[in-house]
Amino acid sequence: MGKHAQVIVGPAGSGKSTYCKYMSEHLTALNRTVHIINLDPAAEEFKYHVTADIRDLVTLDDVMEELEYGPNGGLVYCMEYLMENFDWLEDILGDYEDDYIIFDCPGQIELYTHIPIMREFVRRLQDIGYFLCAVYVLDSHFLFEPSKFISGALTCLSTMTQLEIPHVSILSKIDLLGKNGSKSKLRKFLKSDVQTLLSELNEDMGSAFLSLNHAMGALLDEYSLVGFMPFNIDKPDSISIVSQQIDTALQYGEDVEVRGRDFEEEPNQDEDGYDPEDGDMGGLDSFENIDLEALD
Amino acid sequence: MSAPTESNSEAAGPSTSLSDMSKKPVVCIVVGMAGSGKTTVMQRICAHLYEEKVPGYVINLDPAVAKLPFTPHIDIRDTIKYKEVMKQYNLGPNGAIMTSLNLFSTKFDQVMGLVEKRQDALKYVMLDTPGQIEVFTWSASGTIVTDTLASTFPTVLLYIIDTPRCTNPNTFMSNMLYACSVLYKSKLPMVVLFNKTDITSHDFALEWMRDSDSFRQALESQQSYISSLSNSMSLVLEEFYSSLKTVGMSAVTGEGIGDLFSALDEAKEEYLKVYLPILRKNIQKRKKMAEKEKRKQEKENMKKLERDFAAEHTGTTKQSERTTVLGMSEEGDDSEEDDDLVVGLDGQDDEEENYADDDDDEYGDYYDDP
Repeated sequence: MGKHAQVIVGPAGSGKSTYCKYMSEHLTALNRTVHIINLDPAAEEFKYHVTADIRDLVTLDDVMEELEYGPNGGLVYCMEYLMENFDWLEDILGDYEDDYIIFDCPGQIELYTHIPIMREFVRRLQDIGYFLCAVYVLDSHFLFEPSKFISGALTCLSTMTQLEIPHVSILSKIDLLGKNGSKSKLRKFLKSDVQTLLSELNEDMGSAFLSLNHAMGALLDEYSLVGFMPFNIDKPDSISIVSQQIDTALQYGEDVEVRGRDFEEEPNQDEDGYDPEDGDMGGLDSFENIDLEALD
Repeated sequence: MSAPTESNSEAAGPSTSLSDMSKKPVVCIVVGMAGSGKTTVMQRICAHLYEEKVPGYVINLDPAVAKLPFTPHIDIRDTIKYKEVMKQYNLGPNGAIMTSLNLFSTKFDQVMGLVEKRQDALKYVMLDTPGQIEVFTWSASGTIVTDTLASTFPTVLLYIIDTPRCTNPNTFMSNMLYACSVLYKSKLPMVVLFNKTDITSHDFALEWMRDSDSFRQALESQQSYISSLSNSMSLVLEEFYSSLKTVGMSAVTGEGIGDLFSALDEAKEEYLKVYLPILRKNIQKRKKMAEKEKRKQEKENMKKLERDFAAEHTGTTKQSERTTVLGMSEEGDDSEEDDDLVVGLDGQDDEEENYADDDDDEYGDYYDDP
């Protein structure tokens, strides 16, 4: 069986660590041995048990103090340091060859789109035989208006075009949404198809954006970017569905030799229910089947 | 909760006419990925404004910057000590930047006050944002600051791109997608500034933007999974480019700075022509929605009140019967009844307050978000 890992990415404060905690608990309940490895040198405290921590190697505070870097430069330095000392990570991973790994990554978008450091990180993991799935965590509080929803999808796309691995996008903090109708708005976005979203968008943004909106619609359709999945820590079902989706992307539990797959096809395959033979993988026919009750 | 009320008062402002708006200074929010050279660009802009004797106003919103090569008129660091926030709230650098900005945004009405006081004399207001782009673009405070500014002044986004890094077509594309995401988030006119043109000329980027085939070729030479650019993606990018103003500039040498200011002026016109009407429409729509909600609420309240009265009425008849029996003790009952009524009215007030929050529920929500 191949080595599998989730790479958790998303803006700072979007709930990556919380996701790690609940996902690892869920996977442990499924009898998998899960290890969480923290890669954020600026992490504060953990809600989960950390198997390995980049801060054992280098901490942002030290870098900022000793090299007098600002937070940005410091972070980049830390990640570069990690890449230079990749053996350290490899040694740790070597101890858990048959286990399931979750990488809690730093949030800065710069590390993904600007400096190809996370891309290199992902490559290195693939080189040592890992099958990876990126999980993009986005705070559901920011997605009320159609335009903001699109904005979120684009941020996600911007990161994913760089990482070039299968990905699943999830919405976090749903349990914290207020009662003032925000949940129903969100549900509307998750349920509606691209066309409905577009018409709302056009109404919202005026005629100047018509053609851009239109092009955006096609893009969203192709990459099935509206397929944000709700991740509600109060609803075990939603966690389970997300985890099934990730298994599909990782081809987890498939005994057959795993083939390389095209990035472009990835989200579509997810949406199309993937493969008829894959009935035991959760049988998600489409995103419409996603447990929208998670929003209730 | 000062922010919601503040944005409410801003929402009440669209009565100002178009000509008033065009006299106001352009507010330029400078965003860009860490390392793209925001601060150097700001320095160059300040120097240019000073040299040309153009009245400008500079605001720094980056709490973590160690040294600024220019002197801002308003500096977040004067209000909030980033290191103290780290210590007192026991936060890491990221959390502290976020928290500092949140704290500052609660006082942003004062910043607005200061700018408004000088608005007749000013031509440009420049806003430097924190180094990590998503601290501003994906945070509650960033949204509050942007929306507050955009509802009062012609506001323009200046997205700074690190040109030498973008020679990699992948990086270029994800940068452009991110810029597009920022455009959708803010709904404001955007000027893309290719910085560091002294190192690499931005001609290649212009070529890629003009001719999607050449960009496709560049991507294909990269030998990556997405090297074959999907049609829908290039369509989006093409449309996006067409609505975009681009400027190449070197913050170090100052080359191209004139272009930047003319682009800003153009973007201001665009704001007035295209964006302001949408903004006003949306504000009015929101108002209408709020009014509808309010009427609904009032109706319900009336019904509730009627029910209460009916219940009370039966209550009073009983009481008056009792009074005749009990004589003097009636006063105690009376005051109790008054209390009830007061409670009832209070409850109604509460609901109305709730509605006021709901009116801008977004902000309320952002706000609760730690």
